[in-house]
Amino acid sequence: MAVCIAVIAKENYPLYIRSVPTQNELKFHYTVHTSLDVVEEKISAVGKSLGDQRELYLGLLYPTEDYKVYGYVTNSKVKFVIVVDSSNTSLRDNEIRSMFRKLHNSFTDVMCNPFHSPGNTIQSKAFDGIVSGMMVQTASTV
Amino acid sequence: MSVPDYMQCAEDHQTVLVVVQPVGIVPEDQFFKIYKRISSVSQVSIRDSQRLLYIRYRHHYLPENNEWGDFQTHRKVVGLISITTCASAKEWPQTAERFHAQKEVYSSTLYDSRLLVFGLQGDIAEQQRTDVAFYPSFEDCPDVEKRVDDFVESIFIVLESKRLDRATDKSGDKIPLLCVPFEKKDFVGLDTDSRHYKKRCQGRMRKHVGDLCLQAGMLQDALVHYHMAVELLRGVNDFLWLGAALEGLCSASVIFHYPGGTAGKTAGRKPSISQPADAGKRHRPGAQEVLIDPGALTANGISADTSTEIGRAKNCLSPEDIIEKYKEAISYYGKYKNAGVIELEACVKAVRVLAIQKRAREASEFLQNAVYINLGQLSEEEKIQRYSILSELYERIGFHRKSAFFKRVAAMQCVAPTIPEPGWRACYKLLLETLPGYSLSLDPKDFSKGTHRGWAAVQMRLLHELVYASRRMGNPALSVRHLSFLLQTMLDFLSDQEKKEVTQSLENYTSKCPGGMEVITLPDGLKLPPVAFTKLPISGVSCRPRGLRYVNTYSCRVLYSLQLRRVDTENTYFQWVQGDVCEVQLMVYNPMPYELRVENMGLLTSGVEFESLPAALSLPAESGLYPVTLVGVPRTAGNITVTGYHTSVFGVTSDCLLEGLSSVKTSGSLVEVIPSLPRLQLSTSLPRSAHTSQPTSKEELSSSVSVQLFNGETQQLTLTLENIGSEDIESLELTSKIVSTKEKVFGEFLSWELEDALSRLPLKSGQAVTLTVNIKVKLDFSGQESLLQDLNDDGLSVTGLPISSPLRQLLKPRPENKTFGSESGKAEYSHIKTLEAVLNFKYSGGAGKVEGYHRELSLGVHVDVEPSVFFTRVNTLPATSTRQCHLLLDIFNPTEHELSVSAENNQDLVLHASECQR
Repeated sequence: MAVCIAVIAKENYPLYIRSVPTQNELKFHYTVHTSLDVVEEKISAVGKSLGDQRELYLGLLYPTEDYKVYGYVTNSKVKFVIVVDSSNTSLRDNEIRSMFRKLHNSFTDVMCNPFHSPGNTIQSKAFDGIVSGMMVQTASTV
Repeated sequence: MSVPDYMQCAEDHQTVLVVVQPVGIVPEDQFFKIYKRISSVSQVSIRDSQRLLYIRYRHHYLPENNEWGDFQTHRKVVGLISITTCASAKEWPQTAERFHAQKEVYSSTLYDSRLLVFGLQGDIAEQQRTDVAFYPSFEDCPDVEKRVDDFVESIFIVLESKRLDRATDKSGDKIPLLCVPFEKKDFVGLDTDSRHYKKRCQGRMRKHVGDLCLQAGMLQDALVHYHMAVELLRGVNDFLWLGAALEGLCSASVIFHYPGGTAGKTAGRKPSISQPADAGKRHRPGAQEVLIDPGALTANGISADTSTEIGRAKNCLSPEDIIEKYKEAISYYGKYKNAGVIELEACVKAVRVLAIQKRAREASEFLQNAVYINLGQLSEEEKIQRYSILSELYERIGFHRKSAFFKRVAAMQCVAPTIPEPGWRACYKLLLETLPGYSLSLDPKDFSKGTHRGWAAVQMRLLHELVYASRRMGNPALSVRHLSFLLQTMLDFLSDQEKKEVTQSLENYTSKCPGGMEVITLPDGLKLPPVAFTKLPISGVSCRPRGLRYVNTYSCRVLYSLQLRRVDTENTYFQWVQGDVCEVQLMVYNPMPYELRVENMGLLTSGVEFESLPAALSLPAESGLYPVTLVGVPRTAGNITVTGYHTSVFGVTSDCLLEGLSSVKTSGSLVEVIPSLPRLQLSTSLPRSAHTSQPTSKEELSSSVSVQLFNGETQQLTLTLENIGSEDIESLELTSKIVSTKEKVFGEFLSWELEDALSRLPLKSGQAVTLTVNIKVKLDFSGQESLLQDLNDDGLSVTGLPISSPLRQLLKPRPENKTFGSESGKAEYSHIKTLEAVLNFKYSGGAGKVEGYHRELSLGVHVDVEPSVFFTRVNTLPATSTRQCHLLLDIFNPTEHELSVSAENNQDLVLHASECQR
């Protein structure tokens, strides 16, 4: 499904980033990095109008020629970004949502780990597993 | 029309285009000086009316673009100002000819033209001509602005007449069909009498009149015309022109809503007087849309007619509508492949409007669309321009990362392999501008706090590109600096392979241009602060200065450190001696996966003069903590602060200040340098002790000796003191202290005669003095601790007698004991006791003595005391005389040797080994 999944800290530096075609990792770094502009813009727009009661899912951030970039922001301003292949038209908004929810739950588990110091990059097998699960399906379907 | 003008903005629609060009040979700097003066006349208020005319100047304009002038009149070149030099009257006809040729280029659209001639004097210059102005030189042309003013006014007259001409002939004559260049062939053979065709002609003409009104400063009229044009053109599905009419509507509305302009230039336009600020309030919701017949309007912008007031508010689009209409217009443009440039420019204009409205996300959608507009084959230069402008627009809507991304793309485009002459300089400049977007600063100080957090992969890529670009620019110093920065800040993110590559290329660069610590200033004023390799090697844990001296014992030279005096103030305090070698210990480790050669490592100090003696070291791959001792010699007395150290790694010298190091707690240590003092070297007649200085002793022993003696024995220790310093020793003191106090020592353990040595003072450099110290061991000879107490009442005391031992070999006490002593007592008799003492030499001399300083030298004396005799029991027997008594002593010999005991009355008693006699 996803070709790249990234977790970005409140201060906009990456906590976790993984992409499936590993040979072109830098491209995804660029994609995710630039998507932060849209994320910030969306947050600031929502923050003004609704206050705390906001939708965590940000929806499609922007489409590029090959990929679609989706965003999600937790209440603590940690951002999740999922990049999916544009050719994958079968993917519906709801599925993206559920992917984000899964990611969020797993991220929460990581944060609950007393040995994890928040702000450091995520090094967790469980989290890796969840992320792989979302990405591996690409390999099987394509 | 192929070249888009990315700088366009909505309010450009109300400007008239004037081209300023040089004719013949005009020095470029002079031309631009005049050009600047001309373009300062950017708006002219027209006499007898309240209208303003805005002028847009170009020094370069493609005639091809001019052909679109009917489509949007602001694209039409209506004025031409030529600048030329003419030295003599002979050249004049040729110059005039050239000017006419230039006029020909834009002849179809030109309203008026002017020629400014510089340098010509004489008859011709005397002529009064409206279209030519003569100036003696580029410096002497005071009325250029005035000339341009007049010129603009004349353009206005033509414009106004055209406007009135077009606006009035509404339906009478046949309206010509205006069309854009690529349409021309499509309309061949069309029925010119059809209603459809007529409406199309009308619509296009309305739109054209709207453009003219807008340019002539009649905003409200323009709005009305645009509205009518939209209605007409919508009816005939003339999409391209419908788009143009809509865009015209948007432009007029933008001009109305944002008098400050949308281009974001600092030199904003003056607020227009023709736009009443309260116009918005006149808007009445639910009012019928009233389209005012433009014929009802007077030539002046503001009419007394109230109906126009209503129209003004109504006809103007609201800010939201502007964007909607822009979207619509762009979608219509999108239908025509040949209108790509128009579409792109419309996108750019819309983005600028959205930027003002602070609707960044919608703006980004417009930009995203603009990215996909295909303009066919673009030259590399155009690509660069396109990416740069995209970057600038993204910057404006606050998308700094996106902006940086496009700027980087533009930079890469500058050096694309297809370009014959890559512009590395431009590439480098653009790359530098992307730094903030990637939140990367080139100051290593910003990275010293904790671990680096950022988009390492992206930032590293950027740094690599900077290195490469600066190298190709032919500035190795810059690339060394960037590479050092990369190595220093991104070390944690580099893989082993990358580390190797980076260091290799760094060594390559530095072989040509060694890296230093000076600040590199770029031509545009950006300063690149020096990069210090504080991580190569990483220094950590401790950095403490130490005092130092040499002590020689038996010709084996051992380095000992000695703190001269330690004063417990709030921070640790050290003293060094002027002229003496002193050292600072640093713990370092090598994080690299290969051996690291550090050269020229020395101390950085502030304060008094200090001569650092640099060291070179080689650290094994990924070494653990590795102590490094940096030495130096203070040259004058005073205070020194050790602020850091300097190294040279991979050919880059760096100064590492302690305060900048996260791993080192102290920020520089203060050391007091005291005046020079003499130095003593001590040698003894006894072997050096294997015992190191006791942990309990406070002073550090410079050396210690050990000796084995029997209880009661005396041994002479000869000490040789040699002055190895450069100063004379003027005073010497000797004190001793017994360290282990478990045993009771009788008499003086250590005694000496100092007078002889003192008499030889002052001791010159290189001279030696000998000193004899007697070691006398007198311990308790009693076998049992309670023994003496038994006799205390009798007023008797037992003291040992001097015994000289013939043998000096290690003796093992025998466990068997024939005496009646209890089993527990046996062990006690054979016990070897230890005595330790410290001999302290205090000496001083030279300048240091004047200041009250002295050096201390201490010698540890370690004595293993073998038991000799024990008095195991004491008894008194009454003697013959009542005043006397016999003292009966049970004496035990625990040694393996025969020994004789002599008393004062010369009674000798021979005791064999392990015998007990009475």
